[in-house]
Amino acid sequence: MPQEIAGLKFLSNALATPEQLTSSSSSIDGVPTDLETSVRFAGAQLTQSAGILLRLSQDIIAQAIVTFTRFWLGPEGGSLRIYSAKDVSAAALYMTAKLSFQPTSPRSVLNVYTFLLSKEASPLWFVNPRGLPTEPVPEHYHLTEGGYQAQRHILLQIESVILRTLGFNTHVALPHTITLTYLQTLGVASPAVARRAFEHLNSSLLSPQLLYLTHQPNALAVASIYLAARENGVKLVDGEWWEVFDVDREDLGFLVVAMQSMEGFARAESEKWKGRMLPLDTEEVDAEIERRRMLEAGE
Amino acid sequence: MGAPSLERDSNGATRFNGCTSIRDFEFLGKLGEGTFGEVYRARSKRDGSIVALKKILMHNERDGFPITALREIKLLKMLSHTNIMRLKEMSVERSKGEGRKKASMYMVFPYMEHDLSGLLENPAVHFTEAQIKCYLIQLLEGLRYLHGKCILHRDMKAANLLISNRGILQIADFGLARPFDEPPPQPGKGGGEAKRDYTTLVVTRWYRPPELLLQLRRYTSAIDMWGVGCVFGEMFKGKPILAGNSDLNQAQLIFGLVGTPTEENMPGWSALPGCEGVKSFGNRFGNLADVFKDLNPTAISLLTELLKLDWRKRINAMDALKHPYFSTPPLPARPGDLPSFEDSHELDRRRFRGQRAALPPAPAGGSVGMGRNGGWSANSGNRTGAEPRNNAQLPSAARGAKPNVNGNQGNQQRRPIDSWNNESQQTRSRRAGEETSQSLPSRHRDGGLPPKPPASTHQSWTASHGDKGGRDRPYGTGRYGAPDANVDSYVPSYGGGGGRSRERDHGPANPDWRGGPCHDKPYPDYSRDNPPRRRSRSPMYRDRVDRPAYRR
Repeated sequence: MPQEIAGLKFLSNALATPEQLTSSSSSIDGVPTDLETSVRFAGAQLTQSAGILLRLSQDIIAQAIVTFTRFWLGPEGGSLRIYSAKDVSAAALYMTAKLSFQPTSPRSVLNVYTFLLSKEASPLWFVNPRGLPTEPVPEHYHLTEGGYQAQRHILLQIESVILRTLGFNTHVALPHTITLTYLQTLGVASPAVARRAFEHLNSSLLSPQLLYLTHQPNALAVASIYLAARENGVKLVDGEWWEVFDVDREDLGFLVVAMQSMEGFARAESEKWKGRMLPLDTEEVDAEIERRRMLEAGE
Repeated sequence: MGAPSLERDSNGATRFNGCTSIRDFEFLGKLGEGTFGEVYRARSKRDGSIVALKKILMHNERDGFPITALREIKLLKMLSHTNIMRLKEMSVERSKGEGRKKASMYMVFPYMEHDLSGLLENPAVHFTEAQIKCYLIQLLEGLRYLHGKCILHRDMKAANLLISNRGILQIADFGLARPFDEPPPQPGKGGGEAKRDYTTLVVTRWYRPPELLLQLRRYTSAIDMWGVGCVFGEMFKGKPILAGNSDLNQAQLIFGLVGTPTEENMPGWSALPGCEGVKSFGNRFGNLADVFKDLNPTAISLLTELLKLDWRKRINAMDALKHPYFSTPPLPARPGDLPSFEDSHELDRRRFRGQRAALPPAPAGGSVGMGRNGGWSANSGNRTGAEPRNNAQLPSAARGAKPNVNGNQGNQQRRPIDSWNNESQQTRSRRAGEETSQSLPSRHRDGGLPPKPPASTHQSWTASHGDKGGRDRPYGTGRYGAPDANVDSYVPSYGGGGGRSRERDHGPANPDWRGGPCHDKPYPDYSRDNPPRRRSRSPMYRDRVDRPAYRR
């Protein structure tokens, strides 16, 4: 959809309420907060990887990740003990692609997810901690016809659940294009800054602080530019230029710190789950909760 | 929140909450049904407002939630204009109890009492010229907004124009709408130039512009303006002015009215693929001035501008609004000054329809002959046999209704037509059908709707639906229903029901006015889309409404 469709409304997003941020469906169902954060992080990465394998453009992938993230939000959102993160990831990607100029088929989506979720063949560290096999075995990631039928059914069911949970608000405004506009406005010609700003924007999709759900695109754009310029030693104009883009110093500061912390967070996550699979479906989540309970009881 | 807020709409309701529960609505009756879904009139328990609930059917959806519905919802949520139908919210019905096996989704719209087609069909309603101008201005304002936002409606027709008792006209049905990639129209420049191809499988035939009939793929917002011209003429004539019974016949009717195409009046026309392979239409001058000889010169001038063969020169909405027609007496009425009519329901509409069917020339059928599609004339009443894939309900409604309806009509107060009329819904049924036949004409209107042309008359749909045209409907799935639901059941069968005599009253009071099943069942079954629920949790928990999701 062209952004000009209804002016400001389409450059902006629905944001999370404080209530939604303090309590989630999963936590009500007894999922520890740190586990929820980990699963969401892994699910977002799964979505990103699947989008790349499906050759979808990044704006579709980013929208899908935001939709995926929104789904779990708040006490009215989805619970990790009811809905499997991997299914929600697939359905969010499928639905977002369907609405875009690059629709993709359920079969393509499911083929990719079968591969990415294969405990033997997946390149994802949180699915296949042992790493990529030297000799790929196609049987490990082959989607059987029966498996396809069953998975497709789930895919379409979850699509409806997502739509319902989000009240059919499929619109996601992204900061990427306005970031380029802002860079031009600021007279920054360095491609390195633009690239770095995009890197920050794309990593922020995985943020445990749900930056895309708490801040509007203009704020994300400004923070990514600020950070990218500083990292590249590019001097921006004097004065509080972010105010021109309706971002105040406080928000900017918060976002810059949050974006900077992404790397450390990702490292900590992979450290935390080292050698173990991250639970991406309800059974694994249940098992993980049970494992933690046993550990506690054992002490 | 005093200041305009992104998170609140104009009514202070949160813009971004989940779906409301259908239990927030008290069902008052069914307004129509069809493959697109069913439409109910209902009262909101929260604020008492009357709404129209359009249920989205999803059976047999190969690709999940229908892309057309999804796109329509997304588009409608982006638009905000007095003369564009407003999607209030989405509502979900969940079956009671654990498991929530069935869930249905509804689009919630403010209730509008009439649609233009219905009003025109009402023999008791006669438009004054001031009234026509008032509606036309609103239509043009809506289109100026829409085209200014780079959106093509692609299904302009009287039946898609809803009218409230306060005289407000709204453009409805965005099921075929899509954004266009070119800049919005500029003053004096018509619809501009298209830079890319779009599918030609759009617009109900009677309102389809000549360039589409000739298979121009790079069309512009000018296609909607042609429809405005058709609607404009229809308001004077009281019936569609160009009711072709096939695409070719449609082209011939158009060229009969405005003249055959030449390189002067339609530059580039001979390079187009042509209509059903026909590229030669003889050499005639139009008879528009003759057909509309009762109109004053400024009206004819505007009509001529709208019905221009050359899509590049066809007037755009912003220029049409400045046409002298609107500044010469009689001046346009104000919406609030227009007479209001008692609102009515689909069954009342059908009563008119039955009556009308007895009137002389039916829109498409009889006189011109039904040609290869045969049997669609309202008067001939032979549609059932001729077109078995279309639900027999319609023909039986049209035919069966006639005697009774006419019999009752005499002492019956005339009611104008309901907004959630057949016509609006036709588009949907048409669309649902389109998925199989790949054709677009609307059907079933008043018994005289143009039949669906055979698929072969169009270029390969599959070829176009992958990349270019396919963007319009990526998977070609049903709009609200599946291809096999190519059944236009929104016109209920009178034949089957013993409740016909009760139709004096509105549907709501007599939900069983037709013999068909599940009419008054506001919570119909719906078996889909609930994921395996592995864990129990109080369903009530999730049924809370007005949740503040996505509000800051």
